[in-house]
Amino acid sequence: MLRSTLSKVLNGSKLSPNLVCVTFRASSDVAKKPEKIEVFIDDQPVLVDPGTTVLQAAAQVGVEIPRFCYHERLAVAGNCRMCLVEVEKSPKPVAACAMPVMKGWRIKTNSDMTKKAREGVMEFLLVNHPLDCPICDQGGECDLQDQSMAFGSDRSRFTDIQFSGKRAVEDKDLGPLIKTVMTRCIHCTRCIRFASEVAGIDDLGTTGRGSDMQIGTYVEKFFMSELSGNVIDLCPVGALTSKPYSFTARPWEIRKIDSIDVFDAVGSNIVVSTRTNEVLRILPRTNEEINEEWLADKSRFAYDGLKRQRLITPMLRDNKNQLTPVDWEAALLTVGKVLQQAGPNVAAIAGGMADAETLVAVKDLLNRLGSELTCTEHVFPMDGSGTDLRSSYLLNNKISGVEEADAVLLIGTNPRFEAPLLNSRLRKTYLHNEAEIAVIGPKVDLTYDYHHLGTSAKAINDVANGSSPFSKVLKNAKKPLVIIGADLLKRSDGAAILSAAQSLAAQATNKPEGWKVLNVLHKVASQVAALDIGYTPGVDKIREAKPKVLFLIGADEGAINKEDLPSDCFIIYQGHHGDQGACIADAILPGAAYTEKQATYVNTEGRAQQTLVAVSPPGQAKEDWKIVRAVSEIIGMKLPYDDINEIRSRLNEVAPHLIRYGDVEGANYFKQASQLLQEKKSVDDSPIDVKIKDLQDYFMTDAISRASPTMAKCVQAVLKQKESKY
Amino acid sequence: MDELKIGTLKGIDKYGNKYYENNRFFYGRNRWIEYAPKYGTDYDASQVPAEWYGWLHYKTDLTPDKDPARPKYKWMVDHTENLSGFSGAYIPYSTTRPKIEAWVPPKSS
Amino acid sequence: MAFLGQGSNSLLRITPILKRVAPGIASTCVKNASKDANQIRTDLALLMPEEVEQRKKLEGYITVDDKTDISPVTGVPEEHVKERLVRIYMPPKNAMQSGTNNLGHWEIDFETRQRWENPLMGWCSTGDPLSNMKVQFQSKNDAISFCEKNGWQWFIQESKLEKSVKPKSYGINFSWNKRTRTSTK
Repeated sequence: MLRSTLSKVLNGSKLSPNLVCVTFRASSDVAKKPEKIEVFIDDQPVLVDPGTTVLQAAAQVGVEIPRFCYHERLAVAGNCRMCLVEVEKSPKPVAACAMPVMKGWRIKTNSDMTKKAREGVMEFLLVNHPLDCPICDQGGECDLQDQSMAFGSDRSRFTDIQFSGKRAVEDKDLGPLIKTVMTRCIHCTRCIRFASEVAGIDDLGTTGRGSDMQIGTYVEKFFMSELSGNVIDLCPVGALTSKPYSFTARPWEIRKIDSIDVFDAVGSNIVVSTRTNEVLRILPRTNEEINEEWLADKSRFAYDGLKRQRLITPMLRDNKNQLTPVDWEAALLTVGKVLQQAGPNVAAIAGGMADAETLVAVKDLLNRLGSELTCTEHVFPMDGSGTDLRSSYLLNNKISGVEEADAVLLIGTNPRFEAPLLNSRLRKTYLHNEAEIAVIGPKVDLTYDYHHLGTSAKAINDVANGSSPFSKVLKNAKKPLVIIGADLLKRSDGAAILSAAQSLAAQATNKPEGWKVLNVLHKVASQVAALDIGYTPGVDKIREAKPKVLFLIGADEGAINKEDLPSDCFIIYQGHHGDQGACIADAILPGAAYTEKQATYVNTEGRAQQTLVAVSPPGQAKEDWKIVRAVSEIIGMKLPYDDINEIRSRLNEVAPHLIRYGDVEGANYFKQASQLLQEKKSVDDSPIDVKIKDLQDYFMTDAISRASPTMAKCVQAVLKQKESKY
Repeated sequence: MDELKIGTLKGIDKYGNKYYENNRFFYGRNRWIEYAPKYGTDYDASQVPAEWYGWLHYKTDLTPDKDPARPKYKWMVDHTENLSGFSGAYIPYSTTRPKIEAWVPPKSS
Repeated sequence: MAFLGQGSNSLLRITPILKRVAPGIASTCVKNASKDANQIRTDLALLMPEEVEQRKKLEGYITVDDKTDISPVTGVPEEHVKERLVRIYMPPKNAMQSGTNNLGHWEIDFETRQRWENPLMGWCSTGDPLSNMKVQFQSKNDAISFCEKNGWQWFIQESKLEKSVKPKSYGINFSWNKRTRTSTK
């Protein structure tokens, strides 16, 4: 690190490429917009849009001004004063985060006046900040700690003449996720701004003035948001820290492994922090196209579920009808024998956390056995083009595209809990883009106002034929969006709903080139990959086929149970948690969870991303596709891939986008998809329902989060809060 | 011990091992053990109990039955031989708490 | 495989031995060039012309436009050359902090391998000598050529960090807008 810092100094200011990118774009726009103004940051000229703040202008040339309260994704507060800089010919230093630049300003970010101002601010902050860095969880990754190294004084002028003690504030109880030590708070108000702007929960605020100022919820209250964990990241000091992670580790002793989140279909980028082969915490990783720098609470805190209820040895059901641990050899031989006897009477169901490698390996295995019965747990209509055209099952306009929309129609989905980060984008659109949002489905709290068009599916037709007040808004919108929840399409009239939505989307005519109106929001991480590979959505076919052997790949939602199957059906469960699927199984093959394997997941936009191995699988558990590969060898139908590269080239054969990591493979053929779905089945009148309506339903939705004690505490806290009078 | 030697029987321990001494042999060869017949050829040095071990290795010249200072408490456990390599071998248990809790399948009726 | 390196041309720079042993010679040369009169260097005056020629050849850099693989001579066990997968990436900003000064470079690291636990103390062990190795590079191409030189398979993890700059304004806090205006501000 030292070396790179030195080289940066030696090469003048060496910029990070993302900043360079911005600068290039800024200068290339000059020709089109002559009104750009020129300012000088430490004598470096930069051209910026009018209204740009000093701090933003400095960032464009790679000069970083120290700050506590300013955050680029939140409103400007201007209350920490750490960003004071000198402007030539100005008598006082100015707050860089709040002051817009004027033409020809010469800003000095390193002058004596600037330094003196920063040192003064730092001294005042430290007067009211405890010196408990050695026992503070933020120690080592604390903005205040770092900046006091640069601007702090080496001795204190703080003498407690009255012997009244340093300022101390009582800690607040914000629920089971956030630990508060309010004495450490420096009143940057980032958490307040996050809560009211991004999370849309106006629970946090300030009371009192001067040194009596406090941040809190006024009354003891659980911070009821699905994005609450982000205030831990935002807090520049150790006032808000993670409760499950408290006193566990220091940032310099942990290993950070970049990975992908699988708790919802958004595919947020995460950093898995591990030490001694144990996942200690999960933090978001900036990806502007997906999660910006936020992370939903389930993704952030459900990691302790990875340590409980794990399948660590293979198991077989003995003659007392009891699952008993056996070794791999016995399990594989039994499974192999059963599969050989069953021949083509085999079926597979993929659960919500199955990765693309396993999905393709299982499909290859079943195809070799002569079966086509590979299904996903989650349903999608197969009428018309079904899943043949990707446009009918993707969030076509991308997650970042939501930000530009000016009219959004949500049908049968509750994005707040099905995809919290998509909902935060919707809220951003609502706030900053004046977007009109309408909902067809149950009335739920989405953290922003919307037009409720009814709970019946018939309302879609009303919007389409112009009898609804919202149809005009949608028609006139320049960038309209229709987002359908995948759960809705489970219904018997799912195809008709999809068709109605497609025709509705086709009505939008004055949209720009490349804008895609129809979007489907999935709930689970594996669904898009499974459909891309060619799995059949829904398990109805399996119920009809009555297979002799059923292969469950982490299928825990109870889509099928023993009564649906013939009594002699042998169920093999392959997965990482003992849950519903494992209970009904006759043989259990322990697999790896998402932090334990290098695996591909495709998010709801159709973006392939890969997780990396952070810790080794526990006990005798193995990577999932390797288990399938071993089974295939035992039954004498060896799958032709031996390592991760070979199976990825198989993925490449099936669908090349599956290994183009990080990029969205867009869909097309919207017209054809809607033409194929023209058969007019009528939408029936029953009310639309969504599964997760309230915060308490959000926390425990899959095998990992159901095993997590933290998530259980959250549910309890929400229920308790609901009973309280506040 | 695998050789023909003449000596005086100094004592027999409770496992049937016999201890001999003959000071005509030079020091180091003058005390020996004849393992109990039940061991057959499977004898090994760990079958010597602790009290006779001292005599056999010249830590003391008093045989256990002649040594009044030797403690005898009822809580003292019986000597056991080293069973490494056999089914009764000592296997250290892990003193660390497992990081992963395994799933225990529900008891089916 | 789309994500595996297929061998781009790498530049290998060989530092001249002369420069490493006697850095004075190279610098005198530069100094002389700036002067008006063409002075003769005393250390070269006594040498034969072909020797002078040879020395001149050794000065400066030799560029080899060829892919080189130094793995047979590095002494790294074959297991750690052929079976390792290197990730080339730009380290992301720590979500807990707002500083960016330690970002903007490229880094390589190796895939995580099996770790196990000591049953007595619970200490964690690994048999992977490369588990702690992280090497920083100024650019992506430097990292790629380093991996190719060492014979490792690699892939690049691109991160999407580019964002549009929207001017922010303090005044917007006080504009009357029923959507943004809330009671707690």
